Amino acid sequence: MALRAAILRHIRVPVLQTLAPASTASNWQRWIRPMSSHGDDHLQKEEVIERVLSVVKSFPKVDPSQVTADVHFQKDLGLDSLDNVEIVMALEEEFKLEIPDKEADKIDSCNLAIEYIYNHPMAG
Amino acid sequence: MSATASYLARRAAQKERVRILYRRALKDTLNWAVHRHLFYQDASDLREKFDANKHVEDLDTIDRMIADGEARYDKWRHPDPYIVPWAPGGSKFTRNPTPPAGIEIIYDYGREDNS
Repeated sequence: MALRAAILRHIRVPVLQTLAPASTASNWQRWIRPMSSHGDDHLQKEEVIERVLSVVKSFPKVDPSQVTADVHFQKDLGLDSLDNVEIVMALEEEFKLEIPDKEADKIDSCNLAIEYIYNHPMAG
Repeated sequence: MSATASYLARRAAQKERVRILYRRALKDTLNWAVHRHLFYQDASDLREKFDANKHVEDLDTIDRMIADGEARYDKWRHPDPYIVPWAPGGSKFTRNPTPPAGIEIIYDYGREDNS
């Protein structure tokens, strides 16, 4: 008993170190979810770029190794205008968007698509 | 020279019409397809129809074909197309609009001072 008390008097358990990582700000931000499925949370630019590129890469006629963020669909990837239409429609589905026909017709490169989707308030 | 310019302008207009027609027809194909795996076959059929007339050169023939395609699209248009929820006509259109600027909600859970 005396031995136990003597040991306990000398042991110091670092409580703060074990608790600290669980309550950092970044961890909390991950847990706070918006109440509605759209509109409240704006997409980060990196996420938009990553998802746009993954959509373009998974297009069957595209060589995935050629796809970068500043690639032009028809000039650089060798697609035709109807493939362009299909890619824009795939992007619309990926980001749950509805782009008016005239504006969708103007989107012909990765850069334009990223800009348009990043600036769209409803992209999700 | 102006003949070439007008030819090019007419070609450009035709190309745009075809792109928009293809876009609308493709969306309508998705509306008609009950399952995703049915859509893929329908979409490639649609693409084949467009590709079949890829090399037509005569302007008037192209115009007639586009008009024909637009008429067919109009005839088979889906009566209840899919609309993204927030878009006009969608199921969440103008639901829960953001409050106008200058309005502030104070959440003090029933402990208002002047009640």
